[in-house]
Amino acid sequence: MPHNKRMSNKSEALERIPSGVMGLDEVLEGGFIKGGLYIIEGAPGTGKTVLGNQICFHQIKSGKVVLYVTLIAETVARMLLNLRAMNFFDEGAIGNGIVYVSGFSALKNEGLRGLLHLLRREVLARRVSIVVLDGFAAASDAASSAEDLKVFVQQLQIQADSADATVFLLTNPIESSPSSEETMVDGIISLSSTVHGSSSLRELYVRKLRGSSYLEGVHNYKIVQEGLVIYPRLEKRVGRAPRDNGELERVTSGVPRLDVMVGGGLPRRSMTMLVGPSGTGKTTFGLQFLSRATAAEPGLFFGFYETPARIRTKSRSFTTLSQALDSGAVEMMWQAPTEWLLDELADNLLKAVRQRKVRRLFIDGLGGFRKALRSRAIEPFFAALVEELRGEGVTTVCTAEVAEIIGPTMSTGMSDITDNHILMRFIEAGAALYRIISVLKVRDSSFDSGLRQFSITEEGIEIAEDSRGAELVLSSVAARARQPEIAVSR
Amino acid sequence: METTSDSRPAGKTILVVDDEFGVLEVVEYILADLGYAVVSAINGRAALARIKEIKPDLIVLDFMMPVMDGAEFLKALREDPACREIPVIMTSALPEKNIKEKCSGFDIFLRKPYKYEHLIEAIEALLGKPVKKQEE
Repeated sequence: MPHNKRMSNKSEALERIPSGVMGLDEVLEGGFIKGGLYIIEGAPGTGKTVLGNQICFHQIKSGKVVLYVTLIAETVARMLLNLRAMNFFDEGAIGNGIVYVSGFSALKNEGLRGLLHLLRREVLARRVSIVVLDGFAAASDAASSAEDLKVFVQQLQIQADSADATVFLLTNPIESSPSSEETMVDGIISLSSTVHGSSSLRELYVRKLRGSSYLEGVHNYKIVQEGLVIYPRLEKRVGRAPRDNGELERVTSGVPRLDVMVGGGLPRRSMTMLVGPSGTGKTTFGLQFLSRATAAEPGLFFGFYETPARIRTKSRSFTTLSQALDSGAVEMMWQAPTEWLLDELADNLLKAVRQRKVRRLFIDGLGGFRKALRSRAIEPFFAALVEELRGEGVTTVCTAEVAEIIGPTMSTGMSDITDNHILMRFIEAGAALYRIISVLKVRDSSFDSGLRQFSITEEGIEIAEDSRGAELVLSSVAARARQPEIAVSR
Repeated sequence: METTSDSRPAGKTILVVDDEFGVLEVVEYILADLGYAVVSAINGRAALARIKEIKPDLIVLDFMMPVMDGAEFLKALREDPACREIPVIMTSALPEKNIKEKCSGFDIFLRKPYKYEHLIEAIEALLGKPVKKQEE
């Protein structure tokens, strides 16, 4: 009996249908459940038809037969014309693995019964594994009552069961909740698009999924040549179990005197935030950190501001960095200043880290993540990113620019998330500008908190041996502050 | 129940077979305005049921349809001695080479979405110019 197939033994794992849509199977924790009835809802332009077709074209690759039934105003020919630009589109498969028919005439002439009859006939005759009904709203409108629609959905479910087919209903956002169809289907995926400033942000949200856990909340997506690409929210992807093995090993920062200040080098797997205004030398510091990368400890530059060509020019005087770049021990990834999604950036970064087994990572800088398209606060995202990088065994240095050129206090809002905090700033004394560096925090370690003067030379950052230079500068600043103002008279 | 529809006969008769209601309506309107008598059907089986009765002079046939698609219909048509000479214009969103892999026996192919001038040119190439219906 077809219905009994749905009441599976608890010990049997439910068979999954992979969607073939990047990121979606991760959100669904394995894909759709075979034989289920799913609603994909969204306003026009959110990508329902693209998503429906993407799933279909993925299924036919494994030899399955798919039936795509349209009830929408757009003709099949026009829809296929619009899909031709997509990479997943395979013209040769149409009429073979994937069949497109219009159900509109059947619905118009014979109502829901006629549509059901068409679906039943086609599913059985073609031995279809996947059915997409695009424009389910037209079926809803044709129903004479809520009861009528319930009966239609139930019969659709029975038909799908008997053919072991998985059914997707594409429709406009369901207005009255809970609606008949909502309560009866096995899953509901919502697509939406909102305007953020002058950009639009697309969001996918699983409202319901029977028989499976899933990544809850909102996940951003884009519609590109590959079709829909989903970027699951990083906070949901991060494992709950700590992946830090508690080791206390140190790695050199590339700046010898800083290694002494922080107690013997940066703790391995830690995240160090370099905070300071523009021009203090944060990028130079980061490049020095990367210059110590080797084939056994590969490095990655992940930047938003300076292109790889500019970094190469900068590194000409850094012999060790040039060597590391030439040998391939360091890779550079530049994220052009376009409209990235926050989780898209994390995805790009973590893929590169895992692929190259990166051990030294320099992120230049936090502001690039802040500027990404997002509808949530950055702190939880960054905490998740820090945790992932720690789990991958990466020691990271990240820059954070602050607006204050000169000042005693500079805040990024990330001090509790990062392990180590180093402040680089300018001090104005007389007619000169001096650079001062200080260590504000090293997690679980003692450190030298004294202020030190530093300079940027052709070989990189050079920190003073002790705090005397900084004391002299700060004393002269204090002395000037105590001097009475000299009035200028005519 | 599979449906067909008729307009008032005048001049040549064209049978239009397509599962898309919107396409049927527009093609029927344009061809009737040009003086053709138009009969429509939403799939191959419905069309076969009407053929002997209406004896069309030409068939405009969609390839991808439920119940009975264009390939099956064309095969059945060519196997019937009474119908095998009826010219057929095959239409589809697929390219012609895909259609030729699955069936033969059509006279002209039009890829969807097509301009209606091209449909009219194809019809006139097979039937000659239409006889305009008498003004009422």
